[in-house]
Amino acid sequence: MRGANLVVALALLALAAASPAWAQPAPPTEGCPACHLETGDERLANPVKAFAADIHRAKGFGCIACHGGDAREAGMEAMDPSKGYIGKPNRQQTVQVCGRCHADARFMKQYNPSLRVDQVAEYATSVHGRRLRELDDPKVAVCSSCHPAHAIKPKSDPASSIHPLRVAETCGRCHADAKYMAEYKIPTDQLEKYRKSVHWKTMSAKGDLSAPTCNSCHGNHGAAPPGVSWVGNVCGQCHTVMGELFAKSVHAKAFAQIGAPGCATCHNNHDIEPASVEMVGLGGPAVCSTCHAADDKGGRAAVEIRRLVDTLRVEQEGARAILERAEHAGMEVSQARFELNGANDALVKTRASVHAFSLEATKKEAEPGLAISAKAYARGVRALDELQFRRKGLGVSLMVILALIAGLVVKIRQLDRRSQAGNAGSNSGGER
Amino acid sequence: MTEATPGPDTGRRGFVNWLLATSAGAFLVSVLYPVTRYLVPPQVAESSAASVTVPVKAGDVKPNTGQIFKFGNKPAILVRTPAGELKAFSAVCTHLNCTVQFRPDLGHIWCACHNGHFDLNGQNIAGPPPRPLDAFVVNVRGAQVVVSKGA
Repeated sequence: MRGANLVVALALLALAAASPAWAQPAPPTEGCPACHLETGDERLANPVKAFAADIHRAKGFGCIACHGGDAREAGMEAMDPSKGYIGKPNRQQTVQVCGRCHADARFMKQYNPSLRVDQVAEYATSVHGRRLRELDDPKVAVCSSCHPAHAIKPKSDPASSIHPLRVAETCGRCHADAKYMAEYKIPTDQLEKYRKSVHWKTMSAKGDLSAPTCNSCHGNHGAAPPGVSWVGNVCGQCHTVMGELFAKSVHAKAFAQIGAPGCATCHNNHDIEPASVEMVGLGGPAVCSTCHAADDKGGRAAVEIRRLVDTLRVEQEGARAILERAEHAGMEVSQARFELNGANDALVKTRASVHAFSLEATKKEAEPGLAISAKAYARGVRALDELQFRRKGLGVSLMVILALIAGLVVKIRQLDRRSQAGNAGSNSGGER
Repeated sequence: MTEATPGPDTGRRGFVNWLLATSAGAFLVSVLYPVTRYLVPPQVAESSAASVTVPVKAGDVKPNTGQIFKFGNKPAILVRTPAGELKAFSAVCTHLNCTVQFRPDLGHIWCACHNGHFDLNGQNIAGPPPRPLDAFVVNVRGAQVVVSKGA
């Protein structure tokens, strides 16, 4: 009895080991790949080959999920329109086909509970979606323009067309193509400009994938140019302190009245360079002179604000340099150097305060920094004075010691000479 | 008789003179070298402290509070978590080097300059800081809190 049980168990084990279905999810039972690969027509074979690495394939979806038809039929009968076969979806159908699952929260929860399900709704608000719906524009982007059909990968995959590092390239495929975009009469230099921006450098060179790319400001599925009046809100998503200061400033209202695009008025939109204090004031690369002159109130304030920031920067740097010199010379100034960190805080806040466009606001941040710098500088001067005093003291005491040594040498020689003279005297006396 | 064997005698005297001369030289070097080193400043600053005793008693840092202290030339922050654990981090924000502070209302570390937030493990959780605060090791010896750089 026991022997018979063992045989059954062993037989079951062997059966389980031989069956690949026991270890892996069932492969799609559709017959589509068989024909599509066999015809030798690359146009038919490529989608099947590419689909092997598609996220949908990995989750167990096959051809009919999008193309319709009947998977139970082995031949051409599977592609019967009466069985739901639609072939290659047209542009309008593409959005519907993707949305059938992706807009169904209950369905999507089974596969990726945190994935958004509002893509179709958002797409309807985008310039792409509106043109498709209202004009049946054959050139606007649909789902598969950015998520290449049959090779869709999650955005976390570096090879994905929507990985942060590749979004700009994906949008640029159309938007940087002057010929393709000609009829829309919009600029096509966005990608080129973006590649020069601090945002792209932060992302590509510093590896900070949270740095903004096209969709961070334009939205992804709802892609549209930010409205002039809400540019500040968009930039303020990350640049919160500057965004808040700007929103309360005189410029927020003034820019809205003249139709200037908020932050982008001074910082540009796609080719945003690292901000520097040189942008403030009236001369050189300063941007205030675009609207203000030296004799108007704003121009005078700009010059004063710039002077304050520069003064704080110079004073802080001067204090740091003198303390460093004192420290290198062996003086104990660590407390002063510690306190000088406060001047850096003030400088950072002062630079941010520029976005309030108010001399008072900048003064409020700069003044504590100036006081800290002055105190630290005075401590540095005292330390260097003390160093000079110690050096002089050392010199004087060295002179005294050297003089003493010289005196001793002279004294020893005198004693030697005297004893030699004494010896010579006694010797000559002895000879007599 | 003495002229027949000059070698050993002058040899010994020469050796003694050589010894005297080198010891005088060594003496001079031992005096002058420290003097010159004192007068000529070093190229780089002294390395900063690897360990400091925080000038507050362990019991004075209440739960859900933080205390800035001096760690070498740089500020550091000693935090007592609501659970009572003492933790210490560099208080230099990893964005633009401002000094961070503990916000009891938020229950974590915050930087006033650009609204950067760090949790009680020093991790950057919001705002522009690109990386976590450097963590230090905290040891409590009686009432004394000793903070040191990790291995």
